[in-house]
Amino acid sequence: MADVKIGNLHKSYGTVEVLKDINLQVEDGAFVVLVGPSGCGKSTLLRSIAGLEPITSGAISIGGRNVSDLAPAQREIAMVFQSYALYPHMNVENNMAFGLKFAGVPKAEIADRVNEAARILQLEPLLKRRPRELSGGQRQRVAIGRAIVRHPKVFLFDEPLSNLDAALRINTRVEIARLHKLLKATIVYVTHDQVEAMTLADKIVVMNKGRVEQVGKPLELYYRPANLFVARFIGSPAMNTLAATLDGKGKAAAVAGVSLPLPAAVSGTGEITIGFRPEHCSIGKTGIPARVELVERLGETGYVHARTADGAALLVEVKGDPGLAQGAEVRVAPAAGHLHLFDGEGVRLAGT
Amino acid sequence: MRKPVSAFAVHAVLALYTALALFPIILVIMNSFKAKRAIFNTPLTPPMPWNFDPIGYSKVFGDSAIATYYMNSITVTVGTIFLTLLFGAMAAWALTEYKFRWNTALAIFLSIGIMVPIRLGSVSIIQLVSDLNLINTLTALILVYVAQNLPLAVFILSEFIQQIPRDLREAGRCDGLSEYNIFFYIILPLLRPAMATVAVFTMIPVWNDLWFPLLLAPTGGKQTITLGVQQFLGQYITDWNAVLAALSTAIIPVLVLYVIFSRQLIRGLTSGAVK
Amino acid sequence: METASQGRVQQHGIVGMSPGAYARVLIFFLAPAVLVYTLFSVYPLLDTIISSFYSKQNDGSYVYNGVANFVTLLTDPTWSAPFWNAFINNIKFFLIHMLVQNPIGLLLAALLSLPVLRFRTAYRTLIFMPTMLSVVIIGFTWQLILSPLWGIAKMFLQAFGLGFLFGPWLGEESTALITISLISVWQFVGIPMILIYTALLAIPDELIDAATVDGLNQFQAFFHVKLPLIWPTIGLVSVLTFVNNFNAFDLIYAMKGALAGPNFSADIMGTLFYRVFFGNQLQLGDVSMGATIATMMFLIILCGVMIYLFLIQRRLQRYAF
Repeated sequence: MADVKIGNLHKSYGTVEVLKDINLQVEDGAFVVLVGPSGCGKSTLLRSIAGLEPITSGAISIGGRNVSDLAPAQREIAMVFQSYALYPHMNVENNMAFGLKFAGVPKAEIADRVNEAARILQLEPLLKRRPRELSGGQRQRVAIGRAIVRHPKVFLFDEPLSNLDAALRINTRVEIARLHKLLKATIVYVTHDQVEAMTLADKIVVMNKGRVEQVGKPLELYYRPANLFVARFIGSPAMNTLAATLDGKGKAAAVAGVSLPLPAAVSGTGEITIGFRPEHCSIGKTGIPARVELVERLGETGYVHARTADGAALLVEVKGDPGLAQGAEVRVAPAAGHLHLFDGEGVRLAGT
Repeated sequence: MRKPVSAFAVHAVLALYTALALFPIILVIMNSFKAKRAIFNTPLTPPMPWNFDPIGYSKVFGDSAIATYYMNSITVTVGTIFLTLLFGAMAAWALTEYKFRWNTALAIFLSIGIMVPIRLGSVSIIQLVSDLNLINTLTALILVYVAQNLPLAVFILSEFIQQIPRDLREAGRCDGLSEYNIFFYIILPLLRPAMATVAVFTMIPVWNDLWFPLLLAPTGGKQTITLGVQQFLGQYITDWNAVLAALSTAIIPVLVLYVIFSRQLIRGLTSGAVK
Repeated sequence: METASQGRVQQHGIVGMSPGAYARVLIFFLAPAVLVYTLFSVYPLLDTIISSFYSKQNDGSYVYNGVANFVTLLTDPTWSAPFWNAFINNIKFFLIHMLVQNPIGLLLAALLSLPVLRFRTAYRTLIFMPTMLSVVIIGFTWQLILSPLWGIAKMFLQAFGLGFLFGPWLGEESTALITISLISVWQFVGIPMILIYTALLAIPDELIDAATVDGLNQFQAFFHVKLPLIWPTIGLVSVLTFVNNFNAFDLIYAMKGALAGPNFSADIMGTLFYRVFFGNQLQLGDVSMGATIATMMFLIILCGVMIYLFLIQRRLQRYAF
């Protein structure tokens, strides 16, 4: 296994810059998830690490070796594709052995490696089948098996669960986490699903418009998003965000006509954005005034959709049935210690 | 509600046309097995023990090199199909997979031949073939037919290659295959159905062509079956037994192959039919 | 962190391959097709066009003389009469195909694509059969059938009380071309049938169901829903017919020989080209004039294709289902 370092990586198609100054470090044995909306460049970054896309400038090193100009096969990586990319004309065994044959690995060793991967992934009864005779989940396991037999320094996963149905997706997620522990593998994993990111990752890289927005542990991103984009992207349902004005002393912010006290004094004045998660606020006697538009009752929890007089939407998670009707006037109070403040540029205010 | 098109009328039209399509073929085959008198007096009667006479066939197989001509046609057709598929798939792969400056220009250059018939260059083709010392060789025919069929082959195969997921080629690259091996071990096996379609499009006109055999290999035992039959018919024009037997000899193998492969063939034609 | 390799210039999309190796890959894959195609198709075509601007001198050398060959072909009566004869005949040949072959093909395709039709595959396979056979075979077979000696055609006409209609159709100037055209139609009707049939099958059943719900009967649904959707295919069939007809040769040569008699009444561009280029009982072969006629054929086909591409195809909307 090895670490991956990416330094000052740029990539453009003609005049369009798709990756802008990416710097990233993946520690040996870490599970790093690249996450972001579609078109954010996460797949391009993964494909650049794999060597499937040429980079415009910068460097990629794997295990201390600069691989920027090496062909994919020379980088000691293995990739699991979104579509699995199993060779349709070969059976499971040959799919796994195919690359090794071309790498000149002795036959006996190929057989050992294929058998071991088959054992780990419970593919033994399927070795002689063709891909089209397999279910989606089985194909997925073969694709992972094909990566395992290469004994790569780094595993690259490109949205591997997106072609599976919901139930299978959860099982496979658990399976991938198990494999990571078992193989002590370095993994770079791309997904657009933040639940996958939160549950699998040691470290999440949130990307947007070709840039890295924030790198951190899952809960760091949840509790201390570095900017508005991350704040809105991580967490489900998404964080409430409202325009606000700081008072001169930095002790309170005016929101929708009321003054919210701030947990700690912040420097600066003027227009900011405040944010709080639906699960970190409550309906009570004090707080931001709003009118209830819809109440969703899910049983144990419920969601109250409300709107302030300025037209900003608010979502509040409540226990049980709140007993509110449409049109009710309520006040929404963020929980202490769970208020996020962002400056006019959307960057988290210093000291909060 | 009255049914506007009755099933009976539809079947009547189709059956009538089918009869029209088959009648001449059946008539020739039927009469080729009959004695001369029976051919003229009772042309619509099938061959029976009392009118049976294989004299036509003994003439066809005795007097001429029909077997050689068959071999020539098979060689030319198989050779043409093989080279057209190989060269066509290689070019289609390069044009769809690789970026290079002249890519679009080259694709257009190759597609001209879909619309412009190669026959119009016959004057120069004869000159060229004789300069290369290939007159009366099957090689000349194969080369000309490959040139004739490549444009459509490249066009159809390109469409199919575009449908092969990009991930498959990239999995190959991750597996350490060279570009050559990606083509020969991954792309080519996946192109089989498309190649069957192209083979159908190539085979029929090549097997049936009269023009180039007439121009490039008219004598010296290098005639194709189509030209051979044409020459034989010219020679025996008044000998009805021989003529009918020669026609049947040319028809029957094609018919048998067609009946066996018609399903695949029609599927090939319909799937490859340019949208 | 290693030193970043700045300003990397990538000529191609394959990482880790030198430009030289990339060029070798391109050459390996493209060279065979490009070489064979250029040498045996493009070069002869260009060379033929160039030859049409040269003429043979008495000493056997070829001298450039501009468009003189074309002027000769179009104005000198010994050339222009056969040329215009072949040209007009070729147009008739084409029109008969357009007016008989393609409508019959359309009709058969429409019938074959009807829902719940039994024996569909059998009809389709059998009707397509003549298309598989060599033109030589077809030509000779019909020659026998139409021959007064054998009398098959006459027998059939008499069975319907139409015996008086029978004549030596292939042997008479007034009917030879039409007869040969119809034989060609008979042989190749399978091609428009299959192309149109495929296009009809691609139309989703829901559309026809919707038309039925809207109160259209089967005829109306065909003319107002299906037909508009297959115009692009009919356009394609038409241009294919045009190119094939102005390039035709085999059937007439097989039935009537290079002279396309009687009295050149079945002469078309292909047979004229063959006769002029190779010579025959009446005249010596003439490479320059042969090339000139081939160039004219090229121009005619080009015109047809251009009209199709720029006038017809542009106006036809294509629909994706």
